[in-house]
Amino acid sequence: MRRDWPDIFGGVILAAIGVGAALWAAMYYDIGTLRRMGPGAFPVVLGCALFVLGMVIAVPAMGRTAAAPKVEPAAAVAVLAAIVIFALCLSRLGLAGATAAAVLVATLPAPRKGWVWRVVLAAVVTVLTVLVFSVGLRMTLPVWPRLS
Amino acid sequence: MTTWEGLLFGISFVTQPEVLIYCLLGVVLGTFVGVLPGIGAMAAISLLLPITYYITAEAALIMLAGVYYGAQYGGAVASILLRLPGTPQSAVTTLDGYPMAQNGRAGVALFTAMVSSFTGSMIGILVLVVLAGWLSRAATAFGAADYAAMMILGLVAASTIGSSRPAKGFAMVTLGLLLGCIGTDVNSGAQRFTFGRTEFLDGINLVALAMGLFGVAEVIANVRNPDRQGVAERIGLKRLMPSRDDLRRMAFPTLRGSALGSFFGALPGTGSTLSSFLSYSMERRLARQPERFGKGAVEGVAGPESANNSAAITAFAPTLTLGIPGDPIMALMLGALVIHGIQPGPMMLEARPEMFWGLVASFGIGNLLLLVLNLPLIGIWVSMLRIPFNYLYPAILVFLCLGVYSVRGLTFDIVAVAGIGLAGYLLAIAKFSPALLLLGFVLGPLIETNLRRAFLISRGDPMVFLERPIAAGFVIATVALLLLPLWQAWRRRGAGARQ
Repeated sequence: MRRDWPDIFGGVILAAIGVGAALWAAMYYDIGTLRRMGPGAFPVVLGCALFVLGMVIAVPAMGRTAAAPKVEPAAAVAVLAAIVIFALCLSRLGLAGATAAAVLVATLPAPRKGWVWRVVLAAVVTVLTVLVFSVGLRMTLPVWPRLS
Repeated sequence: MTTWEGLLFGISFVTQPEVLIYCLLGVVLGTFVGVLPGIGAMAAISLLLPITYYITAEAALIMLAGVYYGAQYGGAVASILLRLPGTPQSAVTTLDGYPMAQNGRAGVALFTAMVSSFTGSMIGILVLVVLAGWLSRAATAFGAADYAAMMILGLVAASTIGSSRPAKGFAMVTLGLLLGCIGTDVNSGAQRFTFGRTEFLDGINLVALAMGLFGVAEVIANVRNPDRQGVAERIGLKRLMPSRDDLRRMAFPTLRGSALGSFFGALPGTGSTLSSFLSYSMERRLARQPERFGKGAVEGVAGPESANNSAAITAFAPTLTLGIPGDPIMALMLGALVIHGIQPGPMMLEARPEMFWGLVASFGIGNLLLLVLNLPLIGIWVSMLRIPFNYLYPAILVFLCLGVYSVRGLTFDIVAVAGIGLAGYLLAIAKFSPALLLLGFVLGPLIETNLRRAFLISRGDPMVFLERPIAAGFVIATVALLLLPLWQAWRRRGAGARQ
């Protein structure tokens, strides 16, 4: 048991987002009057509300203990990296290349060890993806890497 | 159009081959994701959203709805056989369904779940038809203030009911409302929170938000989850038929569950999860031998399963007739309609009868398909539980990326999904509800527009929310909901002081 860090951090971050949004909206957007509300009115009210709620979450959590949450940093990094790699590779490596790269990266944290199944899975998913999206749904995307 | 004409029209619409195929696809896909623990209806619907660009709005809605109620059936399978609720709605079913399976009565438990779900859906459809007609007539009396008050009630109800920490729920709803402000302001044309980037002019993409919050976050959470590595045992289904005693025991719980679910499904903010929990506690309270519950009582499967299915159906009433989604999944459905250029509301029954009646008829036919298909297919669903997640999730990720990309053809959106996914994963770890964020996000622009309009009409007088009887009713209900937890805390403290 330890301090309830998820609620403390979560509350503080939400409160910060609230203050930031309210100040930004108050500075740059017209608040208007109650009769004719400007584009700034709603965000300012919401930002203030979010600040109060964040504090209501964070302050009581400071004196409270909670079980540590289960975090999977390796899984998170690999999955998010796979998505970003897919986005970056799509125009250069084509659909096939981007899919294979994404699958190889995404499977890194999987509990099953070895490389053979990873390569086979990448090939299978790539074929499936090209068939479904390029052949089936006729999505206009380059399939193969650009050589030039 | 009378109800009968409407229903006949709807049936003739749904039985067109291509519509029927989308309905079938939806329910089968729904059962699939319902059976697989970890990927809920929410993630499945967000994954399918971009694909619906390629089909008509009616077929899209019918398919997505099929995924929604199909998942309720599938969720029961995993709950009964593995004590892993495939969907939150079926969590209660594990309490008595799994003990039944351990007593060698898995077949009876599955049969009970299917028949109760079917009955619940059918009763839900009846209620939906009556309620939708009534609501769309009543809605002509709704003004801007009434709409705003009702949506605020829905948000408050969703974040307080059934939640142990209402403050966290409110915070998520507020964050969602704030995210909904991003983009061009409809009233003034001002660009809010775009920071000069053209990608933000239309606001955050609903598909990217839903996929990041649900799809990506659920994949990350399940990659190394040992429960997801294909542990299903073989289950014999020889004794599927319940005994006469079972049938007698399940009849009234099913009817009571359906009534309860129909009622709570139609209320904004209370969804099928709450209905199934309420049904379980009601059955235990009414039972002559409450000690049987938790050890394999048929009533404990029949009641909640009928309740969550009827609630899933009647939840469409406020969504379609008022344009106000009661729960996050309905918010996603509403988003799907808006993507197709349809604004649900009081006029939809008259302006798009094929949409409304087609959907109602598709509920009936879809549930019938589920009942007929699923009893013989149970073996397949069970064997699917043996596919290790290792093989599934990389494909899910690639499909998710391409789905987001297909909306606007911008790789920017795929990178955004990674960022939203990280946020969604952190929210899930810290036990903040991303579903409430989405509900706020979809309702935000509607609430803002109606609030601004209400104040414009009343010349800035806030009394408009108390002078109009409809709005006043919603305001009173909202205040009551807000005061309820405070009152409970006060009473608990009072009881503690007396001891």
